[in-house]
Amino acid sequence: MTTTTAPLLDVTGVTMRFGGLTAVNDVSLTVGEGEIIGLIGPNGAGKTTFFNCLTGLYVPTEGAVRYRGTVLPPKPHLVTQAGIARTFQNIRLFANMTVLENVLVGRHTRTREGIFSAILRLPRYHHAEAESREKAMELLAFTGLAHKADHLARNLPYGEQRKLEIARALASDPGLLLLDEPTAGMNPQETRAAEELVFAIRDQGVSVLVIEHDMRFIFNLCDRTAVLVQGQKIVEGDRATVQNDERVISAYLGAPLESTTPAAPEDTQ
Amino acid sequence: MHDLPQQLANGLILGALYGLVAIGYTMVYGIVQLINFAHGEIVMVGGFGALTAYLALPGGTTLWLALPLMLIAGILVSTLTAVAAERFAYRPLRNAPRLAPLITAIGLSIFLQQLVFSFYPDAKKARVFPKIPGDPFSLGSVTVQRSDLFLIIAAPLCMLALGWFVTRTRSGRAMQATSQDPDTAKLMGIDTDRIIVMAFAIGAAFAAVAAVAYGLRSGQVDFRMGFILGLKAFTAAVLGGIGNIYGAMLGGLALGLAEALATGYIQHLPGMHLFGGGAWKDVWAFVLLILVLLVRPQGLLGERVADRA
Repeated sequence: MTTTTAPLLDVTGVTMRFGGLTAVNDVSLTVGEGEIIGLIGPNGAGKTTFFNCLTGLYVPTEGAVRYRGTVLPPKPHLVTQAGIARTFQNIRLFANMTVLENVLVGRHTRTREGIFSAILRLPRYHHAEAESREKAMELLAFTGLAHKADHLARNLPYGEQRKLEIARALASDPGLLLLDEPTAGMNPQETRAAEELVFAIRDQGVSVLVIEHDMRFIFNLCDRTAVLVQGQKIVEGDRATVQNDERVISAYLGAPLESTTPAAPEDTQ
Repeated sequence: MHDLPQQLANGLILGALYGLVAIGYTMVYGIVQLINFAHGEIVMVGGFGALTAYLALPGGTTLWLALPLMLIAGILVSTLTAVAAERFAYRPLRNAPRLAPLITAIGLSIFLQQLVFSFYPDAKKARVFPKIPGDPFSLGSVTVQRSDLFLIIAAPLCMLALGWFVTRTRSGRAMQATSQDPDTAKLMGIDTDRIIVMAFAIGAAFAAVAAVAYGLRSGQVDFRMGFILGLKAFTAAVLGGIGNIYGAMLGGLALGLAEALATGYIQHLPGMHLFGGGAWKDVWAFVLLILVLLVRPQGLLGERVADRA
């Protein structure tokens, strides 16, 4: 396979078992350069487990994850170094550090600073430090948080904490960004803003794989969407393919009897 | 109370020593939630490392030349010992129940004591450590031994350097991040194993500085010196809020002051004349520990740890 046609992320037959429980079952998925791919599924379908397999937190029981053609190392910090960054379903910022410091930590793998040059405060240290700060401030401006750089992360309102997670993830100069429910708990305006942000990220050349429950968000954004149900990928494709798939409908709406209840409109828009 | 300034000075100097050692407890605890009970012995081996360097120098070497070399030797021995302890004793137990590394720490502590005792010539007896020669300084009513000058200069320098390192450098920020949330830190590309080694190494380097200061102060080192010093420093770390580096120094100073003042003045309180003098100083230190644990278990600068534990 030549490099021009090889996908950025190539997941083949990934299975993750915990004892007798198969959380992810033989899932294959590809993400190409500049694509936004959605991953949806009911709660407990294994979406976050799947993400954890992609970031080295879990080593898949079977199958392989290739990024730019090479198999990912089984250590999270090496995965980040390779170029995959992520955000979390439940926000996991460094609460007692400032907004700027959080982004600087995200920049860790892209800065080289020897301990000795730091201790001796050699010019190289000052140079590296200034460069990191500049890049971090750029990212804060990009996500609209520049004016809060010196605030403690824990004092940010919820929506801004989500943005900060994204800024921190982008600080590692990823080729692929994994977003785990980026709009959970957001109001409609904030969700719109998040959509704009994801498009802007893609326009900077970063591919995005996003887990989300908000169907409108997913279908507005994604080039393709994969549906995970009980650990298995049941369908993948564009909006029409996914929306009209009976297995998806029954997975989301349960038995046909319930499909007439009014709880569904958001899912079918 | 005419000697109050002197008592305060004594307390602060002693407290700075406790604080330097307390840093080692607090840094390791902050990153891996382990009370490294072998840390007192890390101080002790640093003391013997420095002493060995001193004895290896040709006689007549001035202390101004010898001191930096002793310091370097002490730091090397302490750091290598701590890093080896982390690698071979603690790392294999990283995911074991917490009691396992704790017991390992106690075992390691005994091991290091016996190692020095058995292999260092004449370690049974306290070994003479050089002192900074010259008369004590007098500043008004306060007298300070020349040997304490080392601590008075070194302790603030070490603290400033550490504060700067933790907040202003890439590695320092990675350390803070790891202490707040190790799993997320890994996903930010931080090699947390390296950060853990770094925490042990920095604590050990501070321990070696403390060991040299201890040797200069008391004029001797012995293979059991780490026990009570380690226990006091642990008290200081808890007092300041374990996991917090500024808390460790503050706790050290508070403990040193409490010890000096209690030793000096409690005997003058009505009905307390039996409790005076140096023999009781350790009692006051640990009474303070018990009080802190009762009244403010998170320590002076500590935060609630409930949401992490």
